[in-house]
Amino acid sequence: MGQTFSFANIFGKVWGTQKEIRILILGLDGAGKTTILYRLQMGEVVTTKPTIGFNVETLKYKNLTLNIWDLGGQTSIRPYWRCYYNNTAAVIFVVDSTDKDRIDIASKELHLMLKEEELLDSALLVFANKQDQPGAMTAAEVSQALNLTELKDRSWSIVASSALKGEGLTEGLDWLMDVIKEEQL
Amino acid sequence: MSTSSYKKGDPYSHAGAADKMAIFQECLQQFNATPVNARKCRQLLARLLRLIYTGEVFPSQESTTLFFSISKLFQHKDASLRQLVYLAIKELSSTSQDILMVTSSIMKDIQSGDLIYKPNAIRTLSKVLDPTTVSASERLFKNAIVDKNPIVSSAALTSSYNLLPIAKDVVKRFNNETLETIQSFKQFPPDQFQLHEYYGGATTSLPTTSYMYQYHALSLLYELRNHDKMSLMKLITSLSDGSSLRNSLAVIQLIRFINKVLLDDDSLIQHLLPILINFLKHKSDSVELEACKTIISLQHLISKADFANVVNTLQKLLSVPRTATRFAAIRLINKISVKHPKEIITVNQELENLINDSNRSISTLAITTLLRTIGAGTVESDSTVEVGSESVDRLINKMTSLMDDITEDFKIVIIEAIENLALKFQSKHKKLVSFLTDLLKDEGSLELKSSIVDTLFDLIKFLKDKDGKQAILMSLCEFIEDCEYTELSVRILHLLGDEGPNASNPSYYIRHIYNRLVLDNSIIRSSAVIALSKFAVICGGKVSQNIQILLSRCLNDVDDEVRDRAALSLKFIANNEKNLIVNESKYDLAVLENKLIHYLNNESNFADQFDINEIPAISNEELTSLEYENKLNRLDKNDEMEVEPTSTEGAKDDSNADQSNDLLKQQEFEQEISQVAEFKDYGKLTKSSIQPIYLTEKENEFVVTCHKHFFLETSKVVLQYNITNTVNHLIAQDVSVIAQSDNPAYVEEFILSVDELRPNETGTIYVSFTSPSLAEDELVSVFGNTLSYTNREIIDDEGNIDESDEGWTDEYQIGDLEILPGDFIQPLYNSNFDSVFDQLPLEDSTVVHLKGIKTLENAITKLKDDLNMLPLDGTDYVPSDSNSHILKLFGRDVWGGKVGILVRLALTGGKLVAKLQVKTETEHFSNTIVDGVGV
Repeated sequence: MGQTFSFANIFGKVWGTQKEIRILILGLDGAGKTTILYRLQMGEVVTTKPTIGFNVETLKYKNLTLNIWDLGGQTSIRPYWRCYYNNTAAVIFVVDSTDKDRIDIASKELHLMLKEEELLDSALLVFANKQDQPGAMTAAEVSQALNLTELKDRSWSIVASSALKGEGLTEGLDWLMDVIKEEQL
Repeated sequence: MSTSSYKKGDPYSHAGAADKMAIFQECLQQFNATPVNARKCRQLLARLLRLIYTGEVFPSQESTTLFFSISKLFQHKDASLRQLVYLAIKELSSTSQDILMVTSSIMKDIQSGDLIYKPNAIRTLSKVLDPTTVSASERLFKNAIVDKNPIVSSAALTSSYNLLPIAKDVVKRFNNETLETIQSFKQFPPDQFQLHEYYGGATTSLPTTSYMYQYHALSLLYELRNHDKMSLMKLITSLSDGSSLRNSLAVIQLIRFINKVLLDDDSLIQHLLPILINFLKHKSDSVELEACKTIISLQHLISKADFANVVNTLQKLLSVPRTATRFAAIRLINKISVKHPKEIITVNQELENLINDSNRSISTLAITTLLRTIGAGTVESDSTVEVGSESVDRLINKMTSLMDDITEDFKIVIIEAIENLALKFQSKHKKLVSFLTDLLKDEGSLELKSSIVDTLFDLIKFLKDKDGKQAILMSLCEFIEDCEYTELSVRILHLLGDEGPNASNPSYYIRHIYNRLVLDNSIIRSSAVIALSKFAVICGGKVSQNIQILLSRCLNDVDDEVRDRAALSLKFIANNEKNLIVNESKYDLAVLENKLIHYLNNESNFADQFDINEIPAISNEELTSLEYENKLNRLDKNDEMEVEPTSTEGAKDDSNADQSNDLLKQQEFEQEISQVAEFKDYGKLTKSSIQPIYLTEKENEFVVTCHKHFFLETSKVVLQYNITNTVNHLIAQDVSVIAQSDNPAYVEEFILSVDELRPNETGTIYVSFTSPSLAEDELVSVFGNTLSYTNREIIDDEGNIDESDEGWTDEYQIGDLEILPGDFIQPLYNSNFDSVFDQLPLEDSTVVHLKGIKTLENAITKLKDDLNMLPLDGTDYVPSDSNSHILKLFGRDVWGGKVGILVRLALTGGKLVAKLQVKTETEHFSNTIVDGVGV
C-alpha cells in the first residue's frame, strides 16, 4: 500500500501498536480451534458447537492488536480456507493429539495449505492440543507425524497445549509474537 | 421521488450500470484491506446495495467473490457496518455459492451481539441456512421468538416463515413459542431508537408497541396448522374475542383465515359468523372492510339481517374522509350490486352524492352501481316503474354532465355497465340506448367508439324487443353517414347486412348502405357491396331486382376489389346461390384447429382427405346461446374483479366461462377413451361430464374424482374414476372401484382396474355399464362407490417395497355418484322463451320439495346446475324480499330435442316448493326429468 511510509506506520513499527496482525487458526474438525480462540480472548472455556464458517475476534496481546480468524475444520468447509489466506501474518495449526487415526489427514491438509503462495511468508505455530487427555501423543510425536522437520524457509514451532487447562497457549503465542516482530514489523 | 432530489456529492447517489464493475472492484479492494475502514466500507456497501435494489444482478462467480470479501467485514465491530453487511449478504444469498460460511458468525451475533443488528442477523440467517444446517439454529430461533423485544421477535417469526419450504419439520417445533408470543405483550425498549447514533432525541412520542409480532405469529401459526382443521378452529376461536389481537393487520389476517376455513367447509358458518359480525364494528377501517368483504363472499350462507349489517357498515365507510377507504367500500358495494342490487338500494342517496367525488374511480363505481340498483327497482312491480324511470332519467342527466370531464377509460367502464343493465333488465333499454347513441355522436377515440358499437351490437343480438333493435340499427345507419373510422363502418355494414333484411323496413337500410357506395373509400365500398347482396338474396323479389341494378353500377368502380365483389355477388344472386352469401352455421373453431393440428402432425393422414364433416357445426342459434352466456359471465366477472381465485364462486365462473374449452375437453375424453381397446365397439361418445366430481375430500389419502361418459348409440355408460395417491410412503396395488347402482336397469359389464399406484401418481379406472334406453326405463340412478386396494409400504429411499411383506388390503366407501337428467341436457339460448315453450309438444309436471335449501337463490342455482340448463330472460336474479319466483330454463337434450322448463318456486314456512312444468320434443324424456328433479 502506498501509505507504508506514513508517520503512523513508522510509529507503528517502533511501538508495535498500530498495525493489526492477521492470524488464522486452522486444523481438522474437533481439534479445539474455537476453544483456543475464546480461551485467548476471554480467558475462559466456552462450550462450542462445530463451527459452520468462521469466528473472528480482535484481541490485544502485549501491545499488539491481533485479528484472529478461527475457520471451521469440517471437510465441507476446508476448501474455503483459501478465501481467507490473503495478508496472513501467521497460521496457528491445531492438532488433536489423541486422534491418531486422522493425524495423516491433518498432515496432508497442513502441507497442502503451506504450499499456497499467499502463505509463503507466514509463520507457523502448531499446537499439539488436548494434552490433558490420556493417550495423547507428545509434541515430538506429533511433530514427526506431521513431518514438520521437512519445512524449509519458514519459521515454525510446535507447542504442547491444553485449551481446557490453558496450558501452553501463551507460551506458543509469545513465540509467535517474537517471530512476527522480528520478521514482519 | 426523483433522483434529482439527492444532493450532489452524496455518496449514496452515484449509481447506474456503468458503475457496476467499478463498484465491484472497489468493494474487493476495500473489504480485503486491513485494518478495515468502517466508514468507507459502509458507503461502498450502500452503493452496492443500491445497484442491487435497482435490478443489477451479479453472476454467480462474481457474487461469490463479493460474498467472501464481505464476510471479512465481520472482523469489525461497527454496528452500522454490520447492519449493511447483513443487508448485502441477504441480497447476495440467492446468487452466491457457499454462503454457509457466515453461519457461525451470524449465530454468534444473534446470541451475544448488539441489539441494533440482531434482527438483521436473524433475517439473514434464514437465507443462509440449508436443510443440513438448520437444526443447529433451532434453539436460537426459539429464544428469539419469545424475546421480549418485539422487533427481534418479529424478525424471528418472519424468518421461520421463510424457512418453511426448506425445513418444515424444524419450524413445526416452534409452535409453542409462537403461540406464547401471539398472546404476550411486548414493548419496544425505551432506548430502541436512541441506540443508533443517527437518531436524535426527538423520539419520545413514539408508540410503545405496534403488536406487529401478532400478525407475524398468526401467519406462521396458520402455516403450521393449515392441514389440521380442528386445531385451526381452536386457534381462531381463542383469538377472536375483541382483546387478544391488538394489531389490525393481524385481525385482517384472522378474517382471511376464517374465510379459507369456510371455503373448505361451509358448515362451520354458525360458529364463525358471529366472529365476523363482531368485526363489522372495529376501530380500524381496514378490519371492517375485510369483514365486509368476507361476509359478502359468503352471502349464500347468511341471513338477510346479517347482510343488512354489512351494508350498514359500508354505508358508514362511504362518508369517511380517507379516499382509499371510500374507494374500497364502494368497490364492495359495487360487487354486491352485481347479484343483489336490491340489498343496497338503501345507500342510493350516498352513491348519488359520490358521483361528484373528486376521485374519478369512486365516481365511476358510484355510477355503475347506481345503474344496477335502479334496474333492480323496476323489474318487480309496476308501481316502482315510474320511480325507477325517473331515477334513470336523473342518473342519465348526471352522467351526461359527468361524461364531459372524465377520461375515456372511465367512459368505457360506464358503457359496459350500461350494457349489463340493458341486457339484464331489458325494459330499460330505450333510455340507455339513446344515451349510448348520443355518446356515439360526440367526439371520441376509436377505442371508445368501438366499445359503444360493441355494446350496441350485443344489444341488437340479445334484445327481445323488435322495435328496440330497429331503433339501434337506424341510429347506427346515421352514425356511418359521418364516421371517421373505416374499421367501424365496415363492422356496422356487416351487421346491417345480417340484421337489416329481416327487419320491417329493409329499404331504409339499403338507402344508407348505397350512400356508402357513392361517398366512401374502397374498403367501405366493398363491404357495402356484400351487405347489399345479402338483402338481395334474403328479401328477394323487387328488392333483389333493385339491388342488382345498384350492384351492376359498381362493376365500373375504380377499385378492383369492389368490382370483383360486385361481379361475384351478381353471379350468386342470378344463380340463386343463397348459401354462398349468407352463413347459416359456423364450424366450431376450437375443434377445427385441434383436428387440423392432429391431421397435419402425421403424414400418413395425408392419404385421406381431411373430413370437414367431423367438425361439429354450430348453428346461429347455438352460437348466440354461447355468446350470450359468455357475455353475461364476462360482464359479471368484470364487476367481480375482486372475487378471489380460490373462492368457489370464482372457480365456477371460470369453469363455464368458455364453452369452447369444454368442447376441447370433451374431445380429449374422446381420444383417451378411443385408446382403450375395450371401448372400441362403443361407437361415438355422446356426452361426458366435464367438471370432475369429487367423491372424497381433497385432503384424503386417496383422492378420487369421477367423470361420466355416455354412449347413446350402443346404450353404454362408462364411469371414469381418477385416483391420486397422496401418501408418500405407500404404494397401492390392485386398485379398483366397485360401483353399485340403485337402478337395476344399469348392468355392470366390466371393471378396468389399476395395477399399481405409486406416491403422487394418478391412475384411471373405468367401470362400464349397459344403460337402459330412454323408452323403457328410468335413466336416473345413484351409484354407491367402494374403493379397494392393497397397501404396500415403501421401505427405502428408492421407493422399493418389501417383497416378503404381502401388505394389507383396505376397502372403504367413498361418495355417491348420481346420474341426473342434466347429464342428458346442454344449455341453450333462446331470445323468445315463451313462444318456443308453448310450441314444445310433450308435457309433464311435478311438484317437489327441495330439502335442505333455504333461499330461492340457492334453489335456482341447484336446479340450474342439476338440470344443466340456461336460465333465460334474467330469471336467475331474484328480487330480495319476495317469497315466490318464476324461473325459465332452456336447453337441448342429447337426442337433439329442445327442452324447456317453467319452474314456479315458493317459499313457505322455511320450506321450498318447486312446481315444474316440463316440455320436451323427445319422447319419454320429460318423464326422466320429472323423476330426476330433487333427488
